[in-house]
Amino acid sequence: MATTSELDRVTAIVLRFMRRPILVLIVVYAIAISGLVLIPGQDAEGNPTHMSFFHAFYFLTYTATTTGFGEIPHPFTDAQRLWAIVLLYGSVVAWIYAISSIIRLVRNPHFQQAVAQRSFARSARGITEPFFIICGFGDTGSLLTRGLDDAGCTAVIIDKDEDRIKALSLRDYRKTMPGLCADASAPKHLIDAGVKHPNCRAIVALTDDEEVNIKITVMARLLNPSVRVICLSTVHRRGEYLDTIGAVETMDPFGAFAKWLGTALYAPLLHTLKHWLIGAQGFSLDKPLSPPKGVWILCGYGRMGQRLRESLHTHEVRTIIIDPDMEGAEDLPAKQKVLGYANADTLRKAGIGKAVGVVAATDSDSDNLGVLLAARSLNPNIYMVVRQNHHENELAFNAANADLIMQPSLITARNILFDLLSPLIHTFLDHMREDRETQLQEVIDRIIETLGTSVPHLWTATICQKDASAVTILKKRGYTITLVDILRDPLDRERNLACIPLVLNRRHGAIVMPDGTQAIKARDQILFCSTKYARRQVDATLNNEYTLQYVVNGVQKPRGYVMQWLARRLSSERALTLGG
Amino acid sequence: MNIEKVIFGFFIILALTLNFGFVMGEIEDPEHHNVMEFFSVILVNLIAMGLKLGDRSQIGALLLATSLVAVLQLISAAIVWTVAVHVTETGLAPGVMASIVSLAAGAMLANVVSVIMLVSDTLMSGR
Repeated sequence: MATTSELDRVTAIVLRFMRRPILVLIVVYAIAISGLVLIPGQDAEGNPTHMSFFHAFYFLTYTATTTGFGEIPHPFTDAQRLWAIVLLYGSVVAWIYAISSIIRLVRNPHFQQAVAQRSFARSARGITEPFFIICGFGDTGSLLTRGLDDAGCTAVIIDKDEDRIKALSLRDYRKTMPGLCADASAPKHLIDAGVKHPNCRAIVALTDDEEVNIKITVMARLLNPSVRVICLSTVHRRGEYLDTIGAVETMDPFGAFAKWLGTALYAPLLHTLKHWLIGAQGFSLDKPLSPPKGVWILCGYGRMGQRLRESLHTHEVRTIIIDPDMEGAEDLPAKQKVLGYANADTLRKAGIGKAVGVVAATDSDSDNLGVLLAARSLNPNIYMVVRQNHHENELAFNAANADLIMQPSLITARNILFDLLSPLIHTFLDHMREDRETQLQEVIDRIIETLGTSVPHLWTATICQKDASAVTILKKRGYTITLVDILRDPLDRERNLACIPLVLNRRHGAIVMPDGTQAIKARDQILFCSTKYARRQVDATLNNEYTLQYVVNGVQKPRGYVMQWLARRLSSERALTLGG
Repeated sequence: MNIEKVIFGFFIILALTLNFGFVMGEIEDPEHHNVMEFFSVILVNLIAMGLKLGDRSQIGALLLATSLVAVLQLISAAIVWTVAVHVTETGLAPGVMASIVSLAAGAMLANVVSVIMLVSDTLMSGR
């Protein structure tokens, strides 16, 4: 077979391993049975008899397994008893040998791996709904899986680290998330995970090894050219290389992080809206972030620090860098950098008294917390942004009471989640990023007015036969259905549901914040922000032609054939009377 | 007020009430189970089924299914009655009456489900 199948492999291993024990058993049984049949016995009257093959096999079956029901069909002669002693010992030893072989096989780690792969491949093949493949179950991977689970999606997970897969099996996901401990870049594991499965929506390469991510990307592209591939890559050169493969989306965690901080400082309103939309803790539309404008101190100038400085400079924020190496900072003017580890001394040298904010962005959590404490003792009013590298340190960071905690793994996971579940949100955010403060404020006011204090829920509706059957039926009858119509409350069409269309996407381009008068067409995609209740209602409207008809023109159409006929009769009679 | 809802609800609830009236009484006693009442149960159930035809919503499909069950049970009961009286001429012996009434009782259960669905659908839509 061309494709590797773990089912065959497990069977093959068992057969190969059990070959000798089974042969031994067969030979022992053959000798014992022939002996029993050949040795003459006596019946109750003393006539000579021979044991039949059936009786011999029956006798051997219960003696070999040390059960022992006695001598059948007649009491044995001494010659038979002598042979019985020999066969009993021989067969018991053969059985012990066979059983111990099985136990050895079961305890063999390679065999266990093969069995795990087999059950993984089985459960991945059995998924009947759209699913995603996640390679790498680190901080980002587990946050992403949690997000997918919250959205009711299934994921298949591959990680090299056995402990991570064990951790996966202990998570309380609502969906079953099959996990395999294996090298994700091996094509056979990707096939087992279902990369060729028609329901596979995307494959996300999130391992901490860049080379492995690239390999996964290339393999996935070769195995299934139509599947979406998202690859985590921090090195710019690799990004260009991946672009040449085509249709690969690269996710640069440092770049995403720098953009995140840039938005937080430069467009705090948008930043607040974005985080409120995705339900992040501690963001409220009433109280948007308000970071001060002025000089910022940036501690740590590694790969991430460089991106951060770039991002801050495009937003015209002045920075002073503190770093022990200053690699890549040779060209910067001397007064914009301070050489050394970030501590009270260097912070003072960088002019913490005059700075408005500190960004602690080294790759060590304890250093970042240290900077935070030192900066606060020197300048109690300073605005503090701190980078949290490891998810497990969350409690310490919450206790540190920084103004803004940025967690690269969380930012990456959220960005990927957006890409996978509601890609239209990027259209919305990009549109809003282009200097549209007043429009943004209007949008926020409208959201507050419509949704109030309820938790926002982002979702995408696609107008197609499967997800909006009623729309297709009514359009065939010649009705024009607008966005305003489908957002009417099916209980009372004069009221509106707590649901705001953010983006209307169609083939010729996307409309951000559509005003609702546009007619809905087939294949439209609409990104909504609503309450969970409103989502259920809109979904029901899109799929129930009677409800849809009511919200479109207020007519409650009779449902059954009889009533429809009656209604037609009545209306034509009325028309006649009116005409006469 | 919606005249369609009135007619629809009238027949569905009448199907249940008549059915209940027929089933009431000693299960084996032919005196307690009137043939005219049985005829009207079947008639009203058939009308209710007719009214449910053509509804393409989910709840419409389920309502139709309950009616089909009720009609199937009632027709079976009618066949048992006819065969006992006219074909084998055993008459309405206690065993025969019991099987007729138990079939009708099954139909009543389907009618109860139908009424529950009708009421809950109306309450949920709230218009």
